[in-house]
Amino acid sequence: MDFSKPQNFREWASRVFALRPMVLILLIFGIVISELRFDWVEQMLGAYLVATNTQRPESGSIWEVGHRTVTARQTLERLITDRQSTQREARGADTLTQIISSLPPGQGVMLSSEHFRRLYMALPGTLAQEVVAPFELLRLLSDGRWVRTYLENEDYGLKIYLLNNENRVLRDLRIPTQLLYQIERVELALQGTLDDLPTFESRIYPAERFFRALNSLPDEDLRSVISQPEKLLGIAGRIVRVGISDEAVSGYIDLGFEIEDGTRRKVILIKGREWAVWILRSYLEKMYPDTQKSLGSEEIGD
Amino acid sequence: MNGVMALMRIVRAAFYGTLAVISVAALIGVGIFFIAIQDLPRVPEPLSRIIETPPTEIFAATGERLMVIGGREVIPLSEVSTRFTQAILATEDHRFWEHHGVDKARTIKALWVTLFRPGRIEGASTISQQLSKNLFFSFKRSYMRKLRELLVAIQIESQYSKGEILEAYLNQISMGVGANGVEQAARTFFGRPASELTLSQAALLAGLPKAPTLYNPYFHLDRAKKRQHVVLSRMEAVGYITHDQAQSSFQDELTLQPPSRVARTGSYFLDLVINGLEEQYGPEVVYHGGLKVTTTIDPQLQSMAEESLRGGLSGLDRMLGIDEGADRSLGSEAVCPQGALVAVETNSGAVKAMVGGRSYVETEYNRAIKSNRLPGSSFKPFLYYTAFEKLGLNPATVYVDRPVSIPVKGAPDWEPNNFGLTHEGPMILKQALMKSVNSIAAQLVERTGPKDVIATAHRCGITSKLDPVYSVALGTSGVSPLEMASAFACFANGGIRHEPFWIWRVEDALGRVLEEHIISGERVLDGSITYQLVDLMRGVVDAGTGSVIRRMGFTLPAAGKTGTTDGYYDAWFTGFTPTLCTSVWVGYDRGQGLRDTRGTGITGARAAAPIWADFMRKATEGDPPREFMIPPDIYFKMVDPITAMEATTYTPHPIKVALRQGQEIQEHTMGEEGLSDPEAGAMPSYGLAF
Repeated sequence: MDFSKPQNFREWASRVFALRPMVLILLIFGIVISELRFDWVEQMLGAYLVATNTQRPESGSIWEVGHRTVTARQTLERLITDRQSTQREARGADTLTQIISSLPPGQGVMLSSEHFRRLYMALPGTLAQEVVAPFELLRLLSDGRWVRTYLENEDYGLKIYLLNNENRVLRDLRIPTQLLYQIERVELALQGTLDDLPTFESRIYPAERFFRALNSLPDEDLRSVISQPEKLLGIAGRIVRVGISDEAVSGYIDLGFEIEDGTRRKVILIKGREWAVWILRSYLEKMYPDTQKSLGSEEIGD
Repeated sequence: MNGVMALMRIVRAAFYGTLAVISVAALIGVGIFFIAIQDLPRVPEPLSRIIETPPTEIFAATGERLMVIGGREVIPLSEVSTRFTQAILATEDHRFWEHHGVDKARTIKALWVTLFRPGRIEGASTISQQLSKNLFFSFKRSYMRKLRELLVAIQIESQYSKGEILEAYLNQISMGVGANGVEQAARTFFGRPASELTLSQAALLAGLPKAPTLYNPYFHLDRAKKRQHVVLSRMEAVGYITHDQAQSSFQDELTLQPPSRVARTGSYFLDLVINGLEEQYGPEVVYHGGLKVTTTIDPQLQSMAEESLRGGLSGLDRMLGIDEGADRSLGSEAVCPQGALVAVETNSGAVKAMVGGRSYVETEYNRAIKSNRLPGSSFKPFLYYTAFEKLGLNPATVYVDRPVSIPVKGAPDWEPNNFGLTHEGPMILKQALMKSVNSIAAQLVERTGPKDVIATAHRCGITSKLDPVYSVALGTSGVSPLEMASAFACFANGGIRHEPFWIWRVEDALGRVLEEHIISGERVLDGSITYQLVDLMRGVVDAGTGSVIRRMGFTLPAAGKTGTTDGYYDAWFTGFTPTLCTSVWVGYDRGQGLRDTRGTGITGARAAAPIWADFMRKATEGDPPREFMIPPDIYFKMVDPITAMEATTYTPHPIKVALRQGQEIQEHTMGEEGLSDPEAGAMPSYGLAF
């Protein structure tokens, strides 16, 4: 290539219109026009970007929305799962205490009226009466409006709403923690003997004497002392002693049944109506004036 | 010769210079390209992912859908009216089918205009670029953002077919009033699917994306029509339609679907619902979780409430001498009084209607729940109930309307005045409430003590903090209209209180229940005493300070109480039928009393009660007259309103009073004997309340 300065116009013209510059110009024009016509630059860029797409970050508003949607779905799923698992446990429960233990504080569960009726019937008669009178439930059942029951674990205990199909409360029941505790203790078995429980200290009777006195009570009083004797019958082992607590709570007194099962001893606590237990106690005192005080385990089998 | 040589030199320099510039520009371009793609967002695959966010839907108690948050109603391209597609293409990107994401000719033209015509900026964004911007980028203007937007558009063009791109664009495009996507827009504005849009409708909708608020046909139909004309002209220019078609379509009368009664972008009630949901579940779940929310609102009642409040406030404007064309540049709150209305179902607590102000567009502040305004005499029912319960008084107990001066420890004596600044002497308590006599209310609160009055109000559902001063009985502590409606509903319900609520049920997108409201009432007041109070409040409506309600033609059994505060800052009427309790508040947001053009103060009976009557008349239209339940131990006597003696045929204007078994009519049970009760704390002097 000649880089010397052209000396005249002819030389200028020959250099400008030489083959090489002309080809260069045509090439540039060709590139520009073909791009305008065929968009090949965009296509190349596009192909490159498509190829590298997966390596790029999930950023931008659409992705942010997507991430929020995922988070929202997860949150909702967690809420629903918690609720459903509580609901499942509650629907499989056979006793009120099972439901109570499955309900976290502040949470509630919806049951059918039929299910609640079953739970109610599983309660010891005396406690069931405390929760709601059976006649009240009969009335609600008979008018056909009670369709669902909502149970809620609140600070003071359990709140139960009997609802119609519009979610309107037909009757609300409150079971205080104390009563819940009693319900829970109906089947509570403590390892050890009555001597380990100070509240029974002064009123422990041999089982045989206790039941003899119990049998001498009229039927109604007897049921008020032990509302569900079948629960005791179903327990493995032999009742050896029975204690009467010296504390009355909400009209009930604990009765402790000490059971010998092989080499082990345990105490089953059952609630008895306070007034009926007092009658029983007076019978025991009349029939066995010598047993005012606790009888030691060595006296068993007298 | 030398001149030619010089020219040739210039040509040569220009040629090589251009080559150099192009080379450098190409190098810089490559560099910028690699910088720009560093943070380039990934394009989702498939593109339909943009529609995966399920919408949260809010429903009325009647099942009507009130609002959709997020989400989109997606339809395939084949279901979009061809006219709409053509209109959008003609307006936004007429070379859409030809380019590869960038319309170079248009870009060059836009550059030319932007650079060489000062003050004008011309856009050249293709549909792909707009889609790219909407999906990935903020609206912050910068050259780098523009370049990235362009690169993503180019990628989208390479990755998807033109049909897919257009479909995605049409389904995400925002057209205002909460309508995202063509299907939602077609249904919102014209009540028909996008496949059935006519040419004129399509042209109107296609003009909206440029500035959805500016061209909102509900508010600016003239602007929307002008924009429609532009769209039709573009369609004609591109060759989609003929001149005649363009002309006749422009002449077509557009029938817009009326905006759904409550389904607006802004509604006080919906705000309340959304805020509640956000608090309970968090914003992400509300906006992206696809909840189905059933609320308590009754759209028909809501519409009536809005209409009644609007009408009542217009009337008030006239009383105040405010022209319709008053300068509202400072916002209506600076010029016009505001109002709020809440209607609650008495036997459940469900909020059936709620209006939080004159216009949500002008101010989103929800006065129905957030404003704590002095209730004035509308607070007196809590005092009367307390007096009946605590002091064993009854509606026929006689008190003397006389100047009172009640000593207050550590403060000047409290000397409340009556509205008329006159005193009428002895009268029974029913008459005292009907006439809203302050001096008798003051004597009662002196005997009951303010704390018991406050306790009664709280039992009924007032949750605001109330100052334990005597004047609290005359309504000197602020409460909200929702509280008042809810608390008075307790009276209507015979003393059983229901918590007010506005959400019935929340479900997820699959219909699984997250929460549902249980209607649980609690007896907080004695049923018989409550009935006596209701009977007193019926007197207010039938022949007392609220009798305007009867004059306005509301005939169903109803009870209520007016309220106005010192300086006429607040005007109230809260009242109820056995089924619906409504509270209305009217007043300026701040620092101004309600006085008409003659300077006379405007009371609750003049400003709020007419709104209440208008609303309740519409809301209960066709309802049978239903009496308040009368407890079995209630009996009625006609008595002389001054002496409380049993009325005879000669007794002028006898009044019927409700008495409980064991309560006898007393001949003269003057209140003076109780005035020495020294209870209660210090308080400022609040004079006027009626």
